[in-house]
Amino acid sequence: MSLELASIHPTRLELLRLRRRKSMAEGIVDILKRDLDALTLNLFELVKKIPPLRDKMYKTLREAYELFIEAEMISGSRKIEGVSLVAQPIDFKISEDKKKGVLGILFPILQLSEGNRVSGPRFNLLDTSANLDKSASKIKASFYDIVKLAEIEESVRILLEVMAIKKRQMNRIQFKILPQLNTAIRYIELILEETERQDAVRVRVLQRKRKERALKHA
Amino acid sequence: MCAWKYKRIMPKIAIAKLKLMEPKEIIDLAGMSLHHISSILEKTPYEAEISKIGTKELSANSLEDALLQNFIKTCEELMELSPKHIRLLLSTFLMKFEANCVKAILRAKQADLDVDEAMKYIMPVGRLGEARCRKTLEISEKVADVVESLSDMEYGSVLEKAFAVYEEEEIFYLLEIALDRHVYSKIWRAIGKLGGLDKKIARTVIGLEIDSANVKTILRCKAMEIRNYQIRRYLIPVSEVFGEKELEEVIRESDIQSFINSLVRLARNAMVRDYQYIFTEIQKQNVTSLTTLEKVLDRGLIETSLRMIKRYTPFFNIGLLLAFLNLKWFEVRNLRAIMRGSESGIPPNKIKEMLVLPR
Repeated sequence: MSLELASIHPTRLELLRLRRRKSMAEGIVDILKRDLDALTLNLFELVKKIPPLRDKMYKTLREAYELFIEAEMISGSRKIEGVSLVAQPIDFKISEDKKKGVLGILFPILQLSEGNRVSGPRFNLLDTSANLDKSASKIKASFYDIVKLAEIEESVRILLEVMAIKKRQMNRIQFKILPQLNTAIRYIELILEETERQDAVRVRVLQRKRKERALKHA
Repeated sequence: MCAWKYKRIMPKIAIAKLKLMEPKEIIDLAGMSLHHISSILEKTPYEAEISKIGTKELSANSLEDALLQNFIKTCEELMELSPKHIRLLLSTFLMKFEANCVKAILRAKQADLDVDEAMKYIMPVGRLGEARCRKTLEISEKVADVVESLSDMEYGSVLEKAFAVYEEEEIFYLLEIALDRHVYSKIWRAIGKLGGLDKKIARTVIGLEIDSANVKTILRCKAMEIRNYQIRRYLIPVSEVFGEKELEEVIRESDIQSFINSLVRLARNAMVRDYQYIFTEIQKQNVTSLTTLEKVLDRGLIETSLRMIKRYTPFFNIGLLLAFLNLKWFEVRNLRAIMRGSESGIPPNKIKEMLVLPR
């Protein structure tokens, strides 16, 4: 919405219309500011959840790795590697759902589930130690944290995108539309003032001429 | 008991036992670099195998292979010098390694590895030399072909029987369990052929090893919440102390403590002192961690082997041989743990905790 000064009709009606538009634009900026505040608050809440979850995930993975090394120390690296080649795989499935969040934004909900629930052990128990079971179950547990983390990070990404759009909209109104409207309003006001001054001069000239004409007749 | 038949093997074992590393020497290795460890091991009976490893090839894996080769070589040397029945037992004992070799071949085929890649996981032993393993891998396209190519060995028929279940349920380790069960049953039968004191000692020591494996399996299955009827499939119920009926009984226990209590009761009923010592210790320590329990059971096995030498004379019976084999095996296992731990940068204290040493 760009305003060309030349195309503006310097009329009172146009001035009123422009003033109305300006106040509406200022209202929109207010609403956008409030939206941005709400989004920022939500962003902080989401971001706050990330470090503890990430720490938990790292801790679980570290423990799983340590247990895996211990299993290798007990049973031998080659054997563990060989066993892992034929371990029954777990078919993980990730289902995606959406939930309405702040300002009606749709956030993803990622749900990790085991497609084929393995009812027995996943490998030969005689060839391995209990540490391998613990390691495998810890790695499995960390998958749930990883998916939760991905869900939060995706929500943060969506939130940041919406915030960027809102910010862009606000900047456009604040730094483009409002200055243009102000310029147009000022322009019309100046034209109208000029017209008023010209009218006043014309009235004074006419009054002077009328007085002179009256004196001549007298 | 004929002492004469032990005339060749006893001096050999006595010398080999003296050459075993002292617990302190093993503990001191924890935290050292692989180069340092290998240079120390070059002054031990592992010298021949370790000196074959080039400097560039030096890794925990290559050292582990060297240690296992040495262990197998030692068993084979002892087998040569053993009297007939002990030779039979040792040959079945070595079948554990052959079975491991078969398992590695099966795993490689299941994972569709090429021959060279597969050979990395295989430790050729006994009748399954490198050429035989390579040939089996080359001519087999699938697991079924491996089973067929092993038909000239007893493993072929064992696998054939288990193959139908494997095909139906698509659970690979059922083949591995079938092999383990066959080998342990064969070891148990070989023990049955021993006479007098040898039989008594072997039944206690090897029976304890098998029973420990079953106890570990049950506890791990319980931790994984596996149903009782399924647990039975993973057990090797050959021993007389914790036989099929006894294991059936203890499987029903819901928690680890009542499970241990039942084991103590069973050991007491069977009047087996050595079992009682181990499980009473576990009961007293109130062990709840499976890792600790595994360690206590492994240590119990070494201590039982050593107790056999003290209880009976160290000479002219199988006790010294079994004690030596267990001590040697746990030495290999401890060294492997130290090397793998050092390679991964595990702190020495943590490595020391993982070692299984007699008290």
